[in-house]
Amino acid sequence: MKKLILAVAVAALSSCSSGRNYALAIVALVDVSGTYLDQKEEVINLIKKGIVPKLNPGDSLFVIRIDDESYKKSNLEGSMTLDVRPSKANAQKMAFAAKLDEFAKKRERARHTDIRGAMMLGAEYLKETGAGSRTMVVFSDLEEDLPKGVKRTLAPDEFAGMRVFAMNVKKLNADNANPTAYRARLASWQQQATSHGAKEFKVVIDPEKLDELLDH
Amino acid sequence: MERFYLWPEQPGASLFALWFFSQLIFWAGRVPMHRAFRSMGRVLFGGLRMAARWLKSISVSIAQRDREMVMEMARGDAEGKIAREFRRIENSFAKELNRYPKLHRKIDDLTSRLDSDYGECGSAPPAPPGWAEATAAVAKMPENGDGMVKKVLEEIHKSAQAGEKKALQEYRESTAKRHKILNGMASMWREVKALAGEAGKSVAAALDSTKRIDSYMATYEQTRKGDHKAVRAMGWQSTQLFVVSLIVLGVAIGGAFVNFNLIALPMSELVPSGSRIGGIPVSTVAAMVIVLMEIAAGIFLMEMLGITSFFPKMELLPLSRRRIILFVSLGGLLLLACIESSLAILREQIVESSSALKHSLAGISEKSVADPVFSRIPVVGQAVLGFILPWILAMVAVPLETLISTGGHIVLTVTAGTLAVLSIVMRVLAHGGRYLVEAVRHVYDIYIILPLQLERLATGGRGATPLREPANQQARR
Repeated sequence: MKKLILAVAVAALSSCSSGRNYALAIVALVDVSGTYLDQKEEVINLIKKGIVPKLNPGDSLFVIRIDDESYKKSNLEGSMTLDVRPSKANAQKMAFAAKLDEFAKKRERARHTDIRGAMMLGAEYLKETGAGSRTMVVFSDLEEDLPKGVKRTLAPDEFAGMRVFAMNVKKLNADNANPTAYRARLASWQQQATSHGAKEFKVVIDPEKLDELLDH
Repeated sequence: MERFYLWPEQPGASLFALWFFSQLIFWAGRVPMHRAFRSMGRVLFGGLRMAARWLKSISVSIAQRDREMVMEMARGDAEGKIAREFRRIENSFAKELNRYPKLHRKIDDLTSRLDSDYGECGSAPPAPPGWAEATAAVAKMPENGDGMVKKVLEEIHKSAQAGEKKALQEYRESTAKRHKILNGMASMWREVKALAGEAGKSVAAALDSTKRIDSYMATYEQTRKGDHKAVRAMGWQSTQLFVVSLIVLGVAIGGAFVNFNLIALPMSELVPSGSRIGGIPVSTVAAMVIVLMEIAAGIFLMEMLGITSFFPKMELLPLSRRRIILFVSLGGLLLLACIESSLAILREQIVESSSALKHSLAGISEKSVADPVFSRIPVVGQAVLGFILPWILAMVAVPLETLISTGGHIVLTVTAGTLAVLSIVMRVLAHGGRYLVEAVRHVYDIYIILPLQLERLATGGRGATPLREPANQQARR
């Protein structure tokens, strides 16, 4: 009987205090390939202005670089899980912003664009956080160009429970000539994301929209 | 409709056939149909009437219960007021009677002193009897030229004048002395007058109390007798109190909301803000708990001060224990007020820090828009607000008690009123339904007017007589 009461009490407490289930985890994938390099500074500013202020104590943010082979630990440019105390969380945000500035200043240029590798790495980090809300924001032209010998096969539940936003998608010269190709590319990414478990895939054109999307 | 056509290619003929058969069937089934209509009307009318009566009876019993409750409240109120007046009189009498021997002694002393002074005023030295007449007689004696006699007479005259002067002097001195004594008596009179006034005031206060008791007793008597006016007045008074309490409570809820917002943000510094309880952040729950704790402490404080009486058991506690609870709740409230005040300061710091962070992330260089001296105003204001609000919230206990005590009357009144209105609606529906069924019966007859008229002609003008209700059923209506 005592055991039953104890079990009920533990169950009640665990159901009440839902811990990290309400936390938000975001992965920002930043393309540093030649076709997108000119957007790097703007992207960092977008992360600083649009994503970092949105984070609350307990939330996590990871910034991953998209380059030749993105599925590497070294591609993680920075990460933070905010402290439960708002004052400390603010200090962490400041430090992270400084780290992002350093990343923006780096003049590295990738010859290939391994988007899926970065997405896989980001998905792993997101899963590890155990956060209730998981979001992946891709800052790229979404034109994948894998080096020879690199294979990227997404697991069926690769993006399970995640929302994927493609933001600041740069239109290439070929896209201007033929917008259908650009649209087909976006549709293909949407199909890839949703077929591998993503809750939604959205292309965000207006940076202000990101605020609303992260609020939901 | 076309489904019912006997000959689909001939709609006119089909419709006529349908009409003809319906006339035939309706005419043949007229009597049972009328009975059915009547039964339906009776069921509808009876059912709705029954429901109306039931609602009315419940409404009356609720109104009666409300009346009893109001009477009980009025009785309790009058008893409380009378008891309070008696306590006042008791205290006043105890105080005044305690002072009375002293007052009496003082008045006695003063009157005896006044008496002796008055007596002293009356004692003046008597004038030498016959001396003036003797002097006058000597003065009137004729001069006979004798120098010796003349000298004697002059001497007598001189001594008479000196005596008169001395007597006058003594008289003046005696009068001055009496005036001095009378002057001294004036202060004593004033003292006596003040004492009499004081006694008069006490008596007037006692008389006022007795008048109030008389009026309370009259109300009490009226309530005990169940006087309609007294009960109605008490009911109205309860409604007024309810409305006032509701308004005050609404204001207090506004205060609680402000208070909650003041501490919700800084609470995230004290408790883990990432965790949630039922979807609500723990810090928000903690802030709510603090506000509720302030209200609870206020309730206990008011209870121990004797302003409210939520917990009758607490009234039975010994005074020493009541005092302990009073100090504990007072201390708790003070502590919570201090905590809130500090949290309010912390809030300002967090807001400033967040604002600075946002500016920094946005790449805006922050410029101070206000002088540092003046920028302290919000901090001080928030701290003061954080300290004062808990004390104001503690006062919620008073309107809360009034709201609860008068809420029963309001609920019962509203329920009784609603049920009475529903009862009327039911009655109207009952009559409406009855006449509606009757109208349908007549429409039925109008539809088969042709066969009815033919029947009438065939039966020699008697025709189909409308069905009559049995006499006993009509009487029952």
